[in-house]
Amino acid sequence: MTVGRRRLLKVLTAIPVLGGLVAVLSPLFRFLKPNDGPWQIFTIKPDLPKGGAQVVGKTTALAKPWDFFYFTYVQKFVQYDPTGYKAANIAGVAVRLPKKVKFENASGFVGYKGETDIALFQRICPHLGCIFNFIPDFHEITAGYGGYVPPEFEKHALMGCPCHLSIYDPAFPNDPGNVISGPAPRGARYFEFEIRGEDIVVTGAELGGIA
Amino acid sequence: MLANLKEWLQDRKQHLDLFDETKTAKQDNPLYIIGSLVWLSWMVVIVSGVILMLWYIPTTTGAYRSIEHITYDIPFGWLVRGMHKYAADMLIICITLRIYRMYFAGEYKKPGELSWMILFASLVLGMISGITGYLLIWNQRAFWAAKTVLTVPTYYDEIPLLGNTGLGHAITYIFLGGPAVGQATITRFYAIHFGISVVFVILAEVFFYRTRRRRLNLSPFVIVLVLAFLGWLSFERLTDMGRWANPNRTPLPILSDWYFLALYQLVKYMPPLWAGIAPALLIGYGMLVPFLDRTKETRPLERPLFFTVGMLALVYFIAFTALIMLNIAVISRDPPIIMAVTAVVMVAAFMWELVHRRRKARQAQTPPARPAPPAPRATAAAS
Repeated sequence: MTVGRRRLLKVLTAIPVLGGLVAVLSPLFRFLKPNDGPWQIFTIKPDLPKGGAQVVGKTTALAKPWDFFYFTYVQKFVQYDPTGYKAANIAGVAVRLPKKVKFENASGFVGYKGETDIALFQRICPHLGCIFNFIPDFHEITAGYGGYVPPEFEKHALMGCPCHLSIYDPAFPNDPGNVISGPAPRGARYFEFEIRGEDIVVTGAELGGIA
Repeated sequence: MLANLKEWLQDRKQHLDLFDETKTAKQDNPLYIIGSLVWLSWMVVIVSGVILMLWYIPTTTGAYRSIEHITYDIPFGWLVRGMHKYAADMLIICITLRIYRMYFAGEYKKPGELSWMILFASLVLGMISGITGYLLIWNQRAFWAAKTVLTVPTYYDEIPLLGNTGLGHAITYIFLGGPAVGQATITRFYAIHFGISVVFVILAEVFFYRTRRRRLNLSPFVIVLVLAFLGWLSFERLTDMGRWANPNRTPLPILSDWYFLALYQLVKYMPPLWAGIAPALLIGYGMLVPFLDRTKETRPLERPLFFTVGMLALVYFIAFTALIMLNIAVISRDPPIIMAVTAVVMVAAFMWELVHRRRKARQAQTPPARPAPPAPRATAAAS
């Protein structure tokens, strides 16, 4: 097959014309695509939530085992807020465990280098994204979270999600925050954190589903 | 093939009967005014919804306040809002009852397949309209319901063998308009909530225009009675506002609109991927029932298997709704029990079906009994 001169010229002129058309239409296609998420073909890395290092609390607030406090890790990334406040918050809980654990979960995310008895968990339930609670008294789990009775070695403070009753054990051997009851497919997500003197510093967060 | 399909569609279109407009002969049976009630409640929902649109502000900051404003400041705003909510509830109840009537009375059989499929799809669309509608209040219940519902599709990326296609996340992101429930979500939900009614009311109007049927096959007395009841309900049970959505605090227990409660309990019992697939299977079963049930029998007890499945669905709907309202779900205990009960009941139904079919076959084999001799005439004596 030979390509005639006329045909070649036609193809050569068509290329810039089509290119121009695509350039004009491309902003319109932008509306068909979600603002963020998968299918972001032209970005090399997705727009990941990054918050930078933040002091979220003091170790002195966690003197005894099972002492805990809630905190919010504010990311520099636009996420939900009912009042139009443009910052992403990850609700978290810090808890003093009765024994030291390695803070590395089943999916391989390392929250803390070395062993620690101060544990930080994201309170975003890995099941369907609700914010779960730290429950100091496990009897409350049985009463208000669907009647789960923990076995003997887990009769201590637990974490429970009100939405679909997933129960997490913050001191689960080898995998703190693992799910012990309920439909959640995995344990609680971790923060990446360091302890600098008395400060508990969060440096990053394990990425997950819909926050 | 295509010609066959066209013929099939033509035939079913002739017998389309969405709002019981052709069942005039059965009007004395209250079961057959359900269809007209569907149309009536739909119209009430649309009219009150358009009035609500005058004041509603679809923003995260304004939505809650604007609904407070509608309920407490606007004259008769409470009535419009109550009518919108309770008529929507009535719409779902009526479609559900209508579907159950069609199921147990075998009305989905030829030539009613298309009517059944359209009504079943309208139930699903009504529920979608419901869930997109109650996010618009922007209260705690709405926020968490939207969040949990829209996280379910992300698990579609974990379907085994298929691998991560990104489709699940794409669905979620398209509905949410971003990575989380926020302003974009309200805008999109508002559009969907409104769009479903508009598109389908136009289709229904075209249907009525072309078939020249009566839209509302009800006596004025019933219409006034229903409207009065809805008005009384909106006054007596002023619709609840709940608390302003707080993304950092999950309410306990989290509840949704009543027709989603059973599905919520299902989400507790199942691993998330299955919780996402199970409703799709239910919808698939519903849409395909006319093609699965091949017998010509319409009486429920003459088709034991499908009768049992329908009863099981009804019983589970009620039982799961009760369980979630009591907030009981022991994950280690309940699902095995439910599975066992279902298996036993289904096996029993299957046996029943087999026995029933064998009996029918035997009856067909034996020649019919000779007709009874005609009664002696007594006409002359009587007159």
